[in-house]
Amino acid sequence: MAAAALRDQLTALLSSMFSQGLVDEQFQQLQMLQDEGGTPGFVSEVVTLFCDDADRIINEIATLLEQPVVNFDKVDAYVHQLKGSSASVGAQKVKFTCMQFRQFCQDKSRDGCLMALAVVRNDFYDLRNKFQTMLQLEQQIQAYDPKQQ
Amino acid sequence: MARKMIRVLLVEDEEINRVVARAVLKAAGGGDVVDEAENGEVAVQRVRDAAAPYDLVLMDKQMPVMDGHEATRRIRGMGVTTPIVAVSSDGLPADVDAFITAGADDFTSKPLSKEKLGVILAKFRLA
Repeated sequence: MAAAALRDQLTALLSSMFSQGLVDEQFQQLQMLQDEGGTPGFVSEVVTLFCDDADRIINEIATLLEQPVVNFDKVDAYVHQLKGSSASVGAQKVKFTCMQFRQFCQDKSRDGCLMALAVVRNDFYDLRNKFQTMLQLEQQIQAYDPKQQ
Repeated sequence: MARKMIRVLLVEDEEINRVVARAVLKAAGGGDVVDEAENGEVAVQRVRDAAAPYDLVLMDKQMPVMDGHEATRRIRGMGVTTPIVAVSSDGLPADVDAFITAGADDFTSKPLSKEKLGVILAKFRLA
């Protein structure tokens, strides 16, 4: 596929991520920091850190919620961590779900937490797929023109 | 935009937040020296052992080993007057008050951005 077509595809993907509320202006800020700082790979580094963190945290939360007696303070601490990572990368939808999740932790509601976990997992997988496609497109574009980025 | 170089201590346990904060500081254009601490205890140690005083401390709240409130209290207990700015996602008035009571000079919400850093640098005459 020609570089121009790949760039169009990337632009359309990013635009849909914004319009669906998956990412917010913080993600735009990261892209600006990459461009202004002349640090290619910065967005990719932050996105990769986020995906690794989120995957690990979601698994930790799932394990905690399977226990006969749930330590809601510990669950809340993990959700707080996930909210922080989401805010840093601009993962708006995941961040908002974490805010609701924390309310269930404060209410010590296992059912609420399980429901919120399912939603946050779904939101995260959806976003991760899009981030992966974005990074693949960027790599393909760069392969056409190594001077780009 | 060039400005004077400053020495910053970035206290933050999450790598992703450190990576973003470093990029924001770099983009602010001062060529700053940035030391990092992954928890409050390491931060207190860095401040104690620093060859020259820091110009600014950016302090997270929730960290393992020692949280940002306690670290701030201990740094102030050492007689250090460096501006300490709390950087936290818990921005309720009670959270801000707790940090200020512990000895922080200011509070900004996460994530750190160029705009927020600009306000901090101007406020403490580091711009």
